[in-house]
Amino acid sequence: MSLNTDRQSSGMSFGNLARRPEAGSFVGLVLVYAFFAIMGGAVFMGAPGWSSWLNIAAEVGIVALPVGLLMIAGELDISVGSVIPASQMTTAIVSGYFGLPVLLGIGCGLGVGLLVGFVNGYLVTRTTIPSLIITIGTMFAVMGLTLGFAVLIAGSTSVFLVPGPATKLILGTFLLGMFNVSIFWWVAFAVCVFYLLHVSPAGNWVFALGGDRESARNAGIPTSRLTIGLYMLSGFAAAFVGVLQLMTYQNAQVATGQSFIFNSIMCVVIGGVLLTGGSGSVIGIVIGTATFAIVNQGVFFSGLDPNVGSVIIGVLLLAAVLSNDGFRALALKYSTRKG
Amino acid sequence: MKLTKILATTAALAIAASTAYAEGANIFVIGGKPDDPFWSRVKKGAEDAGKVAEAQGGSVTWLGPQNYDNLGPDAAELIRQAIDQKADAIVGPDWVPEAMDPAFQAVVDAGIPLVIYNAGGIEAADRLGAMNYVGAVDYKSGYAGGEYLGNAGHKNGACVNTLPGAANIEAFCNGFNDGLGAAGGTGSTLQLPATAFGDATAVAQAVRAHLLQNPDIDAMFAIGDGDTNATVSGIAQAGKTGQVHVCGMNFNDSILANIQAGTQACAIDQQGYQQGFFAVSILNNFVNYGVTIPTREILTGPGVIDASNVELVIEGVKAGAR
Repeated sequence: MSLNTDRQSSGMSFGNLARRPEAGSFVGLVLVYAFFAIMGGAVFMGAPGWSSWLNIAAEVGIVALPVGLLMIAGELDISVGSVIPASQMTTAIVSGYFGLPVLLGIGCGLGVGLLVGFVNGYLVTRTTIPSLIITIGTMFAVMGLTLGFAVLIAGSTSVFLVPGPATKLILGTFLLGMFNVSIFWWVAFAVCVFYLLHVSPAGNWVFALGGDRESARNAGIPTSRLTIGLYMLSGFAAAFVGVLQLMTYQNAQVATGQSFIFNSIMCVVIGGVLLTGGSGSVIGIVIGTATFAIVNQGVFFSGLDPNVGSVIIGVLLLAAVLSNDGFRALALKYSTRKG
Repeated sequence: MKLTKILATTAALAIAASTAYAEGANIFVIGGKPDDPFWSRVKKGAEDAGKVAEAQGGSVTWLGPQNYDNLGPDAAELIRQAIDQKADAIVGPDWVPEAMDPAFQAVVDAGIPLVIYNAGGIEAADRLGAMNYVGAVDYKSGYAGGEYLGNAGHKNGACVNTLPGAANIEAFCNGFNDGLGAAGGTGSTLQLPATAFGDATAVAQAVRAHLLQNPDIDAMFAIGDGDTNATVSGIAQAGKTGQVHVCGMNFNDSILANIQAGTQACAIDQQGYQQGFFAVSILNNFVNYGVTIPTREILTGPGVIDASNVELVIEGVKAGAR
């Protein structure tokens, strides 16, 4: 059912390597980096280039990790696109407009993400509506509520917040003037999600959920609690990115965040997660995110038309899906031969 | 789409019904969503001018769409409602000429005085037989930004276009490049991919990469307030604060703070309050007394906000007029 629940790696045979779900994505990453390293030259390969794509990767990456978990579990989450503005607007209104302590504001912002995640998870487990439709619904609802409340309370669609030095340092500063602290938060999220998916017992439940929900439930996995938990994690991560952006740019806008919907899904798919669920890995998602960010920023360093970047991402996406199928067939062939 | 239209219609009718049959000049103003921050200032201008109309027994009624998904047809519908409500005068923006011109034509055919404002320019007013145009011109707004930075001694500019293909944004950028050119510099346009729109980090990183690849750039123009903040951050990350100077369209609190702190050179304001105020005043005075403003094309923008007048602007913001 799932390819990497089997954690006994025996040597470095081609079969084992190819069976890693991230193998194809890694090849893509190397190719893309080499291409832009040649095109972009020393600036792209130096610290400015690295910080440039890492800053992009970090924010998309924090959203892509839990979205990837959901996709492994066979679900989608579109609502992240409006959780980002909702959380930053909430934080900005609580701490910026009303001037309450910034910790309370951040707590409220993250709380909005958890709440939206809970609603998503609850609706997905209690109805038979596909999660794509449910989360599109909550996305629009949250978008409308954010706009409505922002105008009702603050009288404006953009609210201003100047964080204190400590908050700014932890959530919105640039180390060496270029590396956003969000990069460290991304690493922290990746480690936590890695533990969750590949070490803790809940990881196998996630794979099982994406493989076959009915059998998973019959095997005693608390599928509803697990699904709600995954959606809450996804809402939390999106809300966290909202807070990061607010602390970095000191300004909450109701219209931000929509680009994260497709970008996060693309990172996950380029990272080798199977669209039908049941297969994928955290390392793959991280590789996919890095690939996406390198293409996005690489075009500016290489002097190519930025639209070329979109074309490359589109081609990579298709290549990823095709190679996933190819690698899967290959992996299954080797597994059967072994067994 | 259909439902939205019905909702918009019902809401507009509900607002209109209470005021339609008063004495004096009943002026109908078609504008954006009242909760849009820009349009809330236009609306305040219209309502402030409307106080005179009310004192004379007239009224000002604001008709705005519920959303911008189907802007042209929705706005055309609002114009026709204003005619049906027996408006004495109508103010409207010519956002989508293809969809809205027939409705404006019906206003003129019905003998109702018409002022075009905000969008369309004097060309639309001339074409439709409207009395006047009150508003800013996108090209001139960009031009003002380019000219400002050029006159400050900056030679190499880039306009950050986060919405390639949109006509008004192209006009901002063309204006900026021409304005900078007129002051002795050269301008170019940095086109961003569609995946970047609305994402401050993506805009900031694109600006930063562009500056690192093009170290000669010393002036930038951003097409909106969010983009301006992101551009300022991108410049800081490229280590170029103080070397690259920014002007941007529109403003908010953080932009005013940046102008005060010196990290942003100027903001270009189309001064929406003036659009609402003057359009309504012109029509009210015309309907009541037959007086006219012979000046054609009343420009409300570009208004340049820089360190010299930022304090005054902050006062205006507190009053809800800017």
